Formats: sequence, C-alpha cells, structure tokens
Amino acid sequence: MELARTVLDQQVIDVHDHAMGKVDGVVLELRPGRPARVSAIVVGGTTALWRVHRGLARWAERKLGGEGHPARIPWSRVLRVGVDVKVDTESERSPALRWERWVRDRIIGRIPGA
Amino acid sequence: MSKLFEIALGIVTGIGGFLETGSLATAAQAGAAFGYRLAWAILLGTVCIAFLIEMAGRLAAVSHHTLPDAMRERFGITFFVVVFAVVSLVSFLVLASEIGGVCLALQFASGVSFRWWALPVAGLAWLLLWKGNFGLIEKGTSLLGLVTLAFVVGALRLHPAAGALASSLLPSLPTHEPAKYWFTAVSIIGASVSPYLFYFYSAGAVEDEWDVSYLGINRLVSGLGMGFGGFVAVAVLVCAALVLHPLGIQVDRYEQIPLILATPLGRAGFVLFVASLAIACFGAALEIGLQLAYLAAQGFGWRWGENLRPREAARFALVYTVALPLAALVILAGVDPLKLTVFSMALTALSLPITVVPLLVLMNDRMYLGDQGNGWVSNAAVLGISFIACVVALVAIPLQLFGGG
Repeated sequence: MELARTVLDQQVIDVHDHAMGKVDGVVLELRPGRPARVSAIVVGGTTALWRVHRGLARWAERKLGGEGHPARIPWSRVLRVGVDVKVDTESERSPALRWERWVRDRIIGRIPGA
Repeated sequence: MSKLFEIALGIVTGIGGFLETGSLATAAQAGAAFGYRLAWAILLGTVCIAFLIEMAGRLAAVSHHTLPDAMRERFGITFFVVVFAVVSLVSFLVLASEIGGVCLALQFASGVSFRWWALPVAGLAWLLLWKGNFGLIEKGTSLLGLVTLAFVVGALRLHPAAGALASSLLPSLPTHEPAKYWFTAVSIIGASVSPYLFYFYSAGAVEDEWDVSYLGINRLVSGLGMGFGGFVAVAVLVCAALVLHPLGIQVDRYEQIPLILATPLGRAGFVLFVASLAIACFGAALEIGLQLAYLAAQGFGWRWGENLRPREAARFALVYTVALPLAALVILAGVDPLKLTVFSMALTALSLPITVVPLLVLMNDRMYLGDQGNGWVSNAAVLGISFIACVVALVAIPLQLFGGG
C-alpha cells in the first residue's frame, strides 16, 4: 500500500530512458488474509482524469471509447523506482504515447523542419 | 575555470534577463507618478525572486526533479491541475504583454502601429524555438539583454540624490493617490516575481544536468544575478523619476516613455531605449513560450527538451506552437500593451500564494532536499512577501479597476 502511494504520479520512463507519462493509476491485487499487492501501474487514458473530475472522465470515455486506451504495465516489468519509475517497455509502441504519436503525425510532423 | 565561467554567465543571464516589459513598465510608471518613493517595492520583489530562483535551482540540483514534476508527484494530479491552470493563465497574459512590448518598440522605431507587429514578432519567436537549442536561447537573449544597462548609464547621467533614493528603499505610506500607489507597488512585486522565471530556471537546471556540486554556483548566480537585475530596474525608476515626474507626465501616454533615456543620452538614448525594450521583451517572450511547454510536459509526463527536435517531443512543441500565435492575437485585437502589462503583473502578485507555497512545501520536504532543505530566513521572507503582496493586490486591483484613486 505504501508502495502504491509512493509511485502514484511519478514520472515513467521506458527502457531507453524516454519519458512515457506519469503513473496515473495503480492496480491493486486483493489477497484474502494477506496485505494487498501492487500488480500493475496504469499510464495514460482517462485514468488520471477520474481522479480530477468524475463527470469529465465519464464524458471523455464516451467520446474516446473504453478507458481512453491506457497502458497497463505489470509490476514485474518495473525495473526500478527512484527519481523516476523505469519500466521494461518500448514506449514507441505503447498505448501510453497514443496522443504523442497523434500530435507528431497529424500536426508537428507536417510542419517543415520538424 | 569552467565553473567560474558558468558563474559569470549565470550572473549575466540574471542581469540581462531580469528586465522585461513588466519590470520596465511598472518601474517607469512608479517613477513617473511617485518619484523615488516606490523603490522599496523593487527591493522587496528582488529579494523574493532571488530566494525563489535559488530554491528552484537547489530543488533541481539535489532532487533532479523539475518544479512541475515534483509538484505533481508530491501533491497529486488534482492539486497540480489547479496550479497548472493558474500559472498557465498568468504566464500567458505575461507572454502577450512581452509580445506587446516588442511591438511597442517597433512602433517607436517605425511609426507603424504596434498591432501589426504582433504576428511577425510571434512568428520569429516561434521560429527560434522551433530551430534553436536551449543554450542559444538562454545565453543569446541574456547577452543581448545587457543593452538594458543603458538605463544605469542614463540614471547616473541624471545625478540622482543618493540620500533620497536610499531612504525610499524603506517602505513608506503614500502622500497622494493611495489606490494607485498600492496598485503600482504590487504590480512591481508581481513583475519581479513572475512565476515563469523560477519555473524556467528549474527546467534549465535539469536540462543542464545540475547536481549538488552546483549548489554554490546556484547561490551566487541567483543572489548576484537577481541583485544586479533589480539594480537595473531601480535605474529605470530613477530615470522616470528624474525625467517624467518633474514634468508631470504619466506613463499611460507611452509616446513619452522613450524620453526617460532620450533626455540623459540624447538621440543615442532613444535608440538604446527602443533596443532595450525590444530585446528584453523578445527574450522574455522566448522564455515564457518555452516555460509554458515545460510546465505542461513536466507535469503530464511528456517528452520534453529544447535540445530535442520538435518531432521527438511533439506535444511539447505543440504547446509553444499554439501559445505564441494565441498571445499575438491578443495584441492584434488592439488590447493596450501597457494596460495589459500592468494588469498582468498585479494578477501575478494576486496569484503568488498559489504559485509559491507549493514550492516552499517541497523545499522543506526531506524526501526531496535531504539536509539541503530551506532555512527559516528564506521561508519567512518568501512567505511574508507573497502574502503581503497578495493581500494588497486583493484590495488594490478592484480599487484601480473601478475607479478608486
């Protein structure tokens, strides 16, 4: 539980040390008779929005479909927790960077010199 | 040797970067309306920003976190969104003011109305951010910013009365127009303590990969850089006090403002005034454009860095690509740059508790600072100045807007 509170809202970086978002949510596994365990971290989608404003999050989910496609990264792939949370993932293919890719391909990439 | 060079460069950055449309306009307005009497507000604002800059640098050097990054982590998304909105709004208004400042300078130089310069100026700023790197932008604009030292030369030429000036470094009550006096005082403090300054500085420190060996440099640079910067702002106030105040000219008629340098320095003074205004405001516009992008990227975890190509940090580049033209539209729409500037500065003062208190909490958190946390002097100074400025702004802004003094 302490771990969940520590990693929440920390910066997430991928195997190449590239920023890929924040720990927007934490998935807890409840185990009967034993303390709960962090089973995954959630990056992107509408996860963080749920914590800011429920109505807004519900509206966004209707528009985007599903949960806005967050990346769920199992705890076994978390390499280290320090200044950042480093995970064993290629951010380039991760749904966490969906909007980054969209902005790059549709807007910024089309401007000369990008 | 390289450390010595960095110290020198840092101090130059402080001097060259301190003066921008806000401190120029508010100091000139204060001098024209009240003579030396408001010099204390510049002193207070300078002390406050020197402490804040030092803190932002120390946070970056010790914890390797930028300010938005640490705030998001420490206070969570909900609180961060509030700070993000307030800082973005204030910075956006200041950005529009800076663009307005460049446009006014171009109007003085060319006679063509400031409105028509807004889009070209924003376009040029965008091009530099798009193509340039961090070193070029930070160092280039601040080296050119040294032209603002012309105000010190101008002030000395006017032979200010040292005794009277020194005594006005202590706060005093107004003798006339109290609402305008307090409004100008908080605008001056707001101009010095613009949040973009310390957010930008913290991003720069992480971008330059500072560690604890930079703490000494950081202390010197923030203290001396901001100190000398404040000195230049006092010089502007002195010029306005000695040129405009005796003639009874108020700064709201901005055709008269170049007089503050043209009187002591002649034709060259006019040119130096226009150059100072244009360069100082343009440099600030670049920094604010970047800072808006830093704030969003660091708070929401996007890739960021002015040394990356735009397509490598697309959302980061998108922020300044949208913010610059939007801010230019405000000026193009014909909003008076001077009124906008002074209003933005007062609003900055009003928002100080929201922009400053989270930083103070972080600076006293051993999780981030270890044994490099704040001492009581810096805590008390920043907290005191911010709250006083906020309370005074709360009273003075409505009085000013709805015709009190």
